[in-house]
Amino acid sequence: MNRFEKAAAAAVALMLLAAAAIFLYAPTDALQGPVQRIFYLHVSSAIAAYGCFAVVLVGGAIYLRNGSLVADRFARAGALVGLVFTTVTLVMGMIWAKPIWGTFWTWDARLTSTLVLWIIYAGYLLVRQLAEPGRQAARFAAVVGIFGFIDVPVVHFSVTWWRTQHPGSIIVNDALPPEMLATFLFTMACTLVLAAVMIAIRYRIETLADGPVPETAKVLAAVSAGEAEPVQ
Amino acid sequence: MNNTIAIALAVARKDLTSEWRTRELVPALAQFVVLALVIANFGFQIDAHNAPSIAPGVLWLALVFAGLVAFGRAFAAEREQSSLEAMLMTPASPVAIFAGKAIAATLLLVGCEVVLLPALTLFFGTPLTAQIVLAVLLATIGMAAVGCLFAAMVARVRARELLLPLLTLPLFIPFIVAGGQAVQVAMGGSGSSDQAIGLLVDFDILFVVLTSLAARFVLDE
Repeated sequence: MNRFEKAAAAAVALMLLAAAAIFLYAPTDALQGPVQRIFYLHVSSAIAAYGCFAVVLVGGAIYLRNGSLVADRFARAGALVGLVFTTVTLVMGMIWAKPIWGTFWTWDARLTSTLVLWIIYAGYLLVRQLAEPGRQAARFAAVVGIFGFIDVPVVHFSVTWWRTQHPGSIIVNDALPPEMLATFLFTMACTLVLAAVMIAIRYRIETLADGPVPETAKVLAAVSAGEAEPVQ
Repeated sequence: MNNTIAIALAVARKDLTSEWRTRELVPALAQFVVLALVIANFGFQIDAHNAPSIAPGVLWLALVFAGLVAFGRAFAAEREQSSLEAMLMTPASPVAIFAGKAIAATLLLVGCEVVLLPALTLFFGTPLTAQIVLAVLLATIGMAAVGCLFAAMVARVRARELLLPLLTLPLFIPFIVAGGQAVQVAMGGSGSSDQAIGLLVDFDILFVVLTSLAARFVLDE
């Protein structure tokens, strides 16, 4: 087992522990019944997705500043992993909404902005695929990543101002009993570890896919960073 | 600064002159939006009762898709002639060139709205108030800024016709939420339109600043 396989195994083991906590330790919700157990992973994966897209934002901004390949690879990895977690959030949310709200979908602020988030980062991956690989794809994708990250709170705000029915911050308001809170925090920690491991593995794949850095690119990077003088 | 504005205006004048001489885009867009109204009429079975509730949606759909065509064309002509590279080789800053293209695209889309808004009133019997015109113009500014940025980007990418709507439509949503609200109020819906107009101004400022910061990275490629 190499270190990536070990990390992956550890992340899966943690997620199984989280599942045990969700189904065995956490009490059943008095009002909603067992379906409320969706909450733990639903909110955790939403937070993990935001974290991944923050990686895309920061990676893209650093790439635009100094052309760092490392930052760009992290952005690529973050976009893909974030898209997976957004998908999980949306699908679990719909399964939860059906029995509680009586419908799979409603156009409220949080649902709309999460869907927009999904669409934007799906577009991000499309840009990466369609643009000329290398500098062009990295620059264009960085711009998409930055616009996407700013657009989501704007969409959220504009729809909130219009109409909303998604429950607000029940965690901050201290409305959760201690067992539920403990289960939630544990699940969130496990999910964040899983996301970090997935990004690390994806980063490794992107590095291998990029291949060895050609000597000319190294020289160009050194010149643009001011470490070497161009030969006249 | 003065120089930047002068270059932007020169680029805009160039685009508008070329449109004036060929008269390609605006007549085509005008025809496109009238066709959109005809299709909406048959799709929704419009009558005097439901027109006020459907007309705002039809207005924004027609406008957004006409905008996508206009913004795509803004850079398509430059790509076909490879003239963008020539412009970028001059000492003019990429941001000034981009601003000029965006100003021209905004004005061309306004030309299309000059047909769209009266046609909507004519076919749907909805009022045409200053508030509606203001909301549409404010949304046009922001959408043109974002749309031109991504049009400049996809002009150098494969499958550009596919990618432009995918990238820009999510960014148009804030404008459509606020603009849609303003138009609905003006056509008899409930709510406050002052707040919607204020939001549109905020979004315009936000997205114009963002695109001018990002333009350098997209054009300078």
